Amino acid sequence: MTVSGGDGTGPDLEISRAWLVDPASGREGPGEIVVEDGILEAVTWIEGDDALDVTADGIVIAPGFVDLHAHLREPGNEDAETVATGLAAAAHGGFTTICAMPNTTPALDEPGVLAGIRAAAAASGSAVELLAIGAVTAGREGDRLSALGELADVGVIGFSDDGAPVRSAAILRSALAYAGALGLPVIDHPEDATQTEGAEANEGFVATVLGLRGWPVAAEAAAVARDLAILADVVRDVPGARLHLTHVSTAAALDLIRAAKSAGLPVTCDVTPHHLALTDEWLAGARRWSWDATGDPWADESITAGPYSPALRVNPPLRSTEDAAACLAALADGTADAIATDHAPHTEVDKAVEFGLAANGISGLETALGVVLAAVDAGQLPLARAIEALTTGPATVLGGRARRNGSVGLVEGAPADLVVFDRSASWTVTPETLRSRGKNTPLLGRALAGPVLLTIAAGRIAWEAPDA
Amino acid sequence: MTIRVEDDPVAEPSPVSGGLDAPPDHAAVAWRHRHLLDVDVLTETDLDLVMRTTDAMREVLTRPIAKVPALRGKQVTILFYEASTRTRVSFEVAAKNLSADVVNIAAATSSVSKGESLVDTVRTVEALGAQMLVMRHSVSGAPYLAAEIFGGSVLNGGDGWHAHPTQALLDLYTMRERLPGGSLAGRKVAILGDVLHSRVARSNIWTLTAAGADLWLCGPATLLRGFEAWAARGAAGRRFHVTASVDEALRDADVVMALRIQRERMSAGLLPSLREYAARYGLTRDRLAMARPGALVMHPGPMNEGVEIAPDVAAGAQSVITDQVTNGVAVRMALLYLLAGTHAEDSA
Repeated sequence: MTVSGGDGTGPDLEISRAWLVDPASGREGPGEIVVEDGILEAVTWIEGDDALDVTADGIVIAPGFVDLHAHLREPGNEDAETVATGLAAAAHGGFTTICAMPNTTPALDEPGVLAGIRAAAAASGSAVELLAIGAVTAGREGDRLSALGELADVGVIGFSDDGAPVRSAAILRSALAYAGALGLPVIDHPEDATQTEGAEANEGFVATVLGLRGWPVAAEAAAVARDLAILADVVRDVPGARLHLTHVSTAAALDLIRAAKSAGLPVTCDVTPHHLALTDEWLAGARRWSWDATGDPWADESITAGPYSPALRVNPPLRSTEDAAACLAALADGTADAIATDHAPHTEVDKAVEFGLAANGISGLETALGVVLAAVDAGQLPLARAIEALTTGPATVLGGRARRNGSVGLVEGAPADLVVFDRSASWTVTPETLRSRGKNTPLLGRALAGPVLLTIAAGRIAWEAPDA
Repeated sequence: MTIRVEDDPVAEPSPVSGGLDAPPDHAAVAWRHRHLLDVDVLTETDLDLVMRTTDAMREVLTRPIAKVPALRGKQVTILFYEASTRTRVSFEVAAKNLSADVVNIAAATSSVSKGESLVDTVRTVEALGAQMLVMRHSVSGAPYLAAEIFGGSVLNGGDGWHAHPTQALLDLYTMRERLPGGSLAGRKVAILGDVLHSRVARSNIWTLTAAGADLWLCGPATLLRGFEAWAARGAAGRRFHVTASVDEALRDADVVMALRIQRERMSAGLLPSLREYAARYGLTRDRLAMARPGALVMHPGPMNEGVEIAPDVAAGAQSVITDQVTNGVAVRMALLYLLAGTHAEDSA
């Protein structure tokens, strides 16, 4: 791989004998790319003798990843993350487009807040595209609609009160109809809060042993059932109404979504890397992937770390091995449209406390690829489907609003928007290797496959590994 | 992992054969824990050692001056984030019987207010000279956070709903002392009451199943939530039973332990009323008659007499509740003594 600054504004680059994955064309295989002055000039698929020894286990080139769900904390909590550090983390993770959640202080519930965020993104100089999600309700307080139309006018890509569900069914109904008429989805965080007051961990065996307040599966399933019932009603009057359910974590909720999709409801959903690969066993101190887990780390002596790590406190909580398997199955069969990080950076002050008092969230933009590749390496997910769920999957949820050039794929003649990673190498997650201010990940100290060598966003280098 | 408490510990040499003038030599007594945070990590050998050391401490308690110099010059800080009288005093008496210097701190859990964090408090306590930290906290797992940063030994005096190791060990000691034959193997033990919120019940699951008891947890279905899932897997594979039927739990039981029920359970919508609880689950003389004749009656305290246990049962001939209190001091002396002997190679 050779990268140079180029003569004009963009980089020049040639990569030969790599494994290309292009979900837009449904193709993967050996190939090479040429980038000149930031433009993807040539994508060449190679065959026959030239393709010998080029496997999916080495250098992989894919379209830049799209994240539907990131918390950038600016404005209001810049100690945890800023727009600039969040975009740097995204680039390091291979993402070229990310959607920022509106639970900032103040909340993104009117256009003025968005102007500040866009100014910060421009000032950062990052090539990563920042898309914004507006709040459903004013101040995310759940009582009255935010400035939905004005926010749509300035380009938000959807509405969410994430961090909290839209508590009132009546407000959700209004939001689905109003946003639907604007052509935008409502992105709900499905949680029946009356069942989760004070909840700390997935209700079941592990939480019971550890004495943690149970967070029932039914709290997610009940919220999903409510949302789907309302959607079915609204969509009869407002055909443009669309619901996206984020960070779905349970088999029960995924079954409801699967049925709703086959009934033709306009619903999409995402799952997170941590709900695919981690389970509530980690709270007890086990550190094995969900597909290797038994659900009882005490019985098979697989406890290798201390219990109650606050880095594992997350909403929704890490679930059982069965639920993690259901998330993987939902990705494989298309029930889950996308992998979203739910990147939730926090300061040490908010995390270095008792488990039950720790802030919810995992810093996830930079570890998403490595965790997903662990699932691929273990045969849990085909590589092409994993890449699809990080690229065209979320782009479809966004209805074509991702990317300044309008397309997600290895498209000749367009500004290059791609990621290059090396599946034959690994990197270790440490506070120093993470570009995010949020060092709150349970993967600290762990080696992950697939370090990102290069991220090019809209024809500009967003991340280049120091030794690439 | 296989844990089984030997029935006849007397054959082993006394863990305090070197006298109680100083902390034990760990190479000699084979104690490998720097902290005592939960009972789930205790092996058969560990439990046996605790029982035998408690025997020695019981002997100390019978002396005219119940005091030995084992922990002389050691500072034991008792840091309680939850109101407690009996457990705190029991630890204090135990530490003083071992000649330790005792510092008592009553702290308030500041979850919302940005008060001093637990991490800061533990660092401060250590800087003030604490070598052992006895801690009680309302949040499950809090002692693990303390143990991560504290340079000495942390002894969990109860954390949230999670664990109450010294209570489970004193319960085990008391049962072995009072049951004919001195063994729990095959003995039916019924724990009755608010299992969901009980760290006593959780710790007893580990130690009693390890001791071979036939353990039954019983209470209203709302207060057993999650325990069916645990029972299905067992504690490190060791099975126990969960039932909402008080008759099933008490029938032919050798030991009946009632747990405290708190008024807050009504406001949380878990119980209709204390009156209804007392009528359906209270340990009365009539209910106790379903157990074996002479079955032991236990309660970790403090009791709501007339609610979870009738006054005549609590004070009756079968009650060993005051033995639990006395044995609590001896067990805590034993654990402070064993932990004080920690050396560099000891694990957590």
